[in-house]
Amino acid sequence: MKRLDNILEFKHFDWLTFTLPVVMTVLGIMTIYSATRPLFDTPHPPYYIRQTVWLLLGIMAMFLTASFDYKRLIRYAYPIYAVGLILLGITIVLGHTGMGAQRWLRIGPISFQPSEFFKVALIIVVARFLSASKSPLNISGILVSIGLFGILPFILLYKQPDLGTGLLMLIIVTIMMLCKGIPRRIVVIATVLLIVSLPVTGNLFWKGLKDYQKNRLVAFIDPKVDPRGIGYQIEQSKVTIGSGEFFGKGYLKGTQGPLRFLPEKHTDFIFSVFAEEWGFLGSFLLLSLYAVLIIRGFETAYYSKDDFGTLLSIGISIMFLLYVTINVGMTMGLMPVVGIPLPFFSYGGTALLTNFICIGLLINVRRHRFSLFY
Amino acid sequence: MNKRALLVATIVFVMFFVVFLRLIDLMLLDHEKLSRIARIQQTKGQEILVRRGTIYDRNGRELAINLERPSLYCDPKIITSPQKVAYSLGRVLKKRHRLILKNLKADRRFVWLARKVKPEVAEAVQRLKIEGLGFLPDTKRFYPKGTLAAHVLGFVDIDNRGLEGVEHTYEKYLVADGGRVYLTRDARGNILYRGGDYESVGDSIVLTIDEGLQAIVEEELDRALKKWQAEAITAIMMDPYTGEILALANRPTFDPNRPGRFRPSYRRNRAITDLYEPGSTFKIVMAAAALEERVAGLNSRFDCSEGVIEVGGKKIRDSHKHGVLTLKEIIQKSSNVGAVKVALKLGPERFFRYVELFGFGRKTGIDLTGESPGIVKPPREWSGTTQGAMAIGYEVMVTPLQILRAYAAVANGGYLVRPHIVSAVLSPEGLIIKKVNSTDKEKILSSRTVKLLKEAFKAVVSEDGTAAQATVPGNTVAGKTGTTRLIDPKTGRYSYKDFVSSFVGMVPADNPAFVMIVVIWKPKHKYYGGEVAAPVFSDIARKALAYRYIPREDILKKNILVVSRGIKNNISAVEVE
Repeated sequence: MKRLDNILEFKHFDWLTFTLPVVMTVLGIMTIYSATRPLFDTPHPPYYIRQTVWLLLGIMAMFLTASFDYKRLIRYAYPIYAVGLILLGITIVLGHTGMGAQRWLRIGPISFQPSEFFKVALIIVVARFLSASKSPLNISGILVSIGLFGILPFILLYKQPDLGTGLLMLIIVTIMMLCKGIPRRIVVIATVLLIVSLPVTGNLFWKGLKDYQKNRLVAFIDPKVDPRGIGYQIEQSKVTIGSGEFFGKGYLKGTQGPLRFLPEKHTDFIFSVFAEEWGFLGSFLLLSLYAVLIIRGFETAYYSKDDFGTLLSIGISIMFLLYVTINVGMTMGLMPVVGIPLPFFSYGGTALLTNFICIGLLINVRRHRFSLFY
Repeated sequence: MNKRALLVATIVFVMFFVVFLRLIDLMLLDHEKLSRIARIQQTKGQEILVRRGTIYDRNGRELAINLERPSLYCDPKIITSPQKVAYSLGRVLKKRHRLILKNLKADRRFVWLARKVKPEVAEAVQRLKIEGLGFLPDTKRFYPKGTLAAHVLGFVDIDNRGLEGVEHTYEKYLVADGGRVYLTRDARGNILYRGGDYESVGDSIVLTIDEGLQAIVEEELDRALKKWQAEAITAIMMDPYTGEILALANRPTFDPNRPGRFRPSYRRNRAITDLYEPGSTFKIVMAAAALEERVAGLNSRFDCSEGVIEVGGKKIRDSHKHGVLTLKEIIQKSSNVGAVKVALKLGPERFFRYVELFGFGRKTGIDLTGESPGIVKPPREWSGTTQGAMAIGYEVMVTPLQILRAYAAVANGGYLVRPHIVSAVLSPEGLIIKKVNSTDKEKILSSRTVKLLKEAFKAVVSEDGTAAQATVPGNTVAGKTGTTRLIDPKTGRYSYKDFVSSFVGMVPADNPAFVMIVVIWKPKHKYYGGEVAAPVFSDIARKALAYRYIPREDILKKNILVVSRGIKNNISAVEVE
C-alpha cells in the first residue's frame, strides 16, 4: 500500500507551483545583480551570490516540507507556534538593529529574521485551530483566535517594530477566519464596533507609531512634502519605474539603482529596478506569474481533501497575494512604505527560505489530495 | 464553495488589476515626465576647460602659451573648522587668513579660494588633506617673452578672455567652442568620468610678426626713448608688398603677464590708436597728386625764395630761405612754401582726391583692436587756411600706420595694401584653417609716378636731404622726415617746445625689404625728424637687414663676398605637433 501511495504522490507533485517561484527567484537574483552593480572599480557586492545560496537552501527546504504528509503538522502546530512566539520575544530583547528596527536574531555567523519564520508558524497554527472548530465559529472560538493568533503576535511584531508584518498577519488571520465561517451578525457587529471606535483606536494607533512610521504615512499621502527626505523613496521609485516605458531599458542598462538614487534597491524596491530594465511588458509578465502562482494556491485550497489543507493553502495564498500587491503598490506609490519585501524577488535569506517552505506546504497539500490513508 | 471561489478570484483579479492600471499610468502615460526627472538628476553639466590656442610668430616661435594653473575652490558646508583651515591655507597660499575665512564661511556650496595657483602650491594644499576643498583644472595665459610685442599680442582677463590685441581680435579662433558637457552623476554627486578630460583647445594663430625683427625694433626703441627722453615712441615695420606687419612696437609698454599693473596709456597701441599731425611726411600726397595729374614734373620749378607764403591769412614758413626749387628739391629739403605752392596749383578737389586715395580718414583694416580712422576734413568743411596747412601735413590727423601704408605704395609699385598682423590660423592638429589673404590691394599710383616719387625720396636720404642720418651702410634708403609742433593744451596753440618727430622710409630703396616708420613724441633737446627719428630708422634698418640676410646693394661694386646662410623669409605657417 505504501508503495502505491508513494507513486501516486510523486505523480501528483505540482511542478507548476514549484517552477514559478524558482523562475521568479532566478529573475530576482539577476535583478539583484543588476541593482547592486558598482559604480567605480569596486568589487561587486556579493548579494547575488548569497541569494543564490539561499535559493538552493530554499529548494531543499521546499522538498523537505513537501515530502511528509502535512497532516502530521496538526500534532506539532502548537509547539511550532510556541517556538515562534518565543523567538519573537527573544528578538525584542536581544534583537539586532537594522534600519531602525530590531528584526534580526544572530546565531553565530548567521542572522535571520524570526518574524519571517513566525509567518509560517502562525498560518499553520491558525489552520490547525480553525480546522478543529465548528463552522461557523462560535464566540469563544472567535475570541481565542483573534486574541491568541491576532492580537498577541501583532503586539510582539509591533514591538520589534515590524508594523507592516504585524498588520498583515492580523489581516491574514481574519481572512482565514472568514473563510472558515463567522456568523453574519458577528461580522456586522464587529464592523460597526470597529468603525465607531476608529477615532479612539486610530488616535492610539497614530500615537503609538514611531517617527519614521509617521513619516512614511505622511509621505504616502503627499510625497512632495519633502522630496529630499520623507517622500524621496516613493518619488525615486516612481521615477525608476517610469523610466522603463514599454520595452524597458534592457537588462543591466538601468541607472537609478546603481547611481544610488533609489534606496533599498535590492530589497523592498527591487520591483522598480526590474520595471526600469524590463519595461511594462516584463513587469506585466512578472506580475502574471505571481497571479498564476496565487490562483494555483487557491485552487490547491479548493482541491484539498480536508479543512486543514484548505485553510493552510488559503493562508499561504492570501499571504502571497497581500505581499505581492502591497509591495508592488508601495513601489508605485499606491501604498505607504511599510517595509514588505516582494516574495522570491527581494534580497533576504530568511524570507526566501520561509517562502519556499510555504511553497513546499502548498505542494504537499496538493499531492495528498487523493490519498485516502490518514 | 463555488461562490467562495468566485469571490476569491474576483478579489485577486481586482487587486492585480489596480496594480496593472497603475503600471500603465507610470510606465506608459507618465513615462516622459518621470524619465526626464531621472535624466536631470543623473546628469551634471560641467563647464569644459577651454584652452586658448597658441600664438606663434611667423617662424613658429611661441609668443603666447598656456600654463597649468589649477584653481582652488571649497564647499563651505563641508568645512568643519573654518578657523583652523583658514590658518593652514593662509600659510600655504600666502594670503591673509581673514580673507580666506570669509570665503570658508560663505553661505554657498561653491566658493573660489584661489584662482590659478602654481602646481607646487596646489600640491601643498592637497597634502593638507582638508575635506571640502577641491581643484578644478584651469590655465593661465603666459607670454614667455615678457613685454615683447605686448601691443600686438594684447592680454586676457582672469577668465582667459582676450581683452586687447590679437588675443581679442582672434578670440573666436583662439577659443574653441566651450560650453558644457553632461556627465553621469550618482545620488551623492560623484561624477562618473567616461575617460579623458573634458576640454577644448582653440585654434592657434600665426602672426606676420618676426620675433627677431620685433626684438631689434624694441631694443632700438628703448635706446631712443632713453636718448631723447621722449614721451612715447612708435615704430612699425611692414612688408610693403603684402601688408604683413613684421614688427610693431610702442614705448612705453607693458607686460601682458600682468597688465593690471600698468597704466592704460602704457597699454595703448599708439601705432594705430594715436592721432597726430603728420607734417612733412604728408607731402607724399601733394607730390603724388602733382606727378600723377601731371601738374608738375620732378624738375618743375617753384619760387620759394621768400621763405614764407600766406594762405588764408596765415603765414607758412620754411626753416630757412631756399631760393627757387624743383619739385624734387621741395621734397628733398622739405620746403613748406614749395609744397603749398604745388598744392595751390592742384586745387582743393584734386588734392583731396589723393588724400582719400592714400586711405587717410579711413581705417586701414588691420586686425588689431582700437584702430582709429584719423580725421580728415573734406573740402567743403575747409577754412581758408586748410589747403595750405594740409599740404604740409597740418589740419589732418593720421595714425603712424596710415602714413606707413602710403609710403608702402611707393615701395611696392603703386598699390595700397591692407596691413595685417595674422598670416594663418591653425587647427589644434596643426592644419591650416584660414590663410590671410595678402593679395588684397588696390592700385592707386601709376608706375611712372612711383618711380619719380622714389627718386625724390632717395634724394631726401642724402647729404643734401633732410634725412642724411637715415642712411644704412651699403644700401640706399628712400624716405621722408616729418616734424610737427604739438598743440599745447594750456594755450590751445602750437607749442614751441613739444614736437612730434618722425621718419618713414624703405630699404633697400629699389627693391625694398620693408617699409618702416618711426614716430617720436616730445623728444628733448632736438626735434627735427631728420635728427631724432632718422637715426633710429637707420639703426633698426641696419640690424634688420643683417638679420634677414638681405645682401648689400653695393656688393657687386665693392666685391664683397657673401656667404649665404640660408634663406629666411616668408614662412606663413609652421607645423605644430
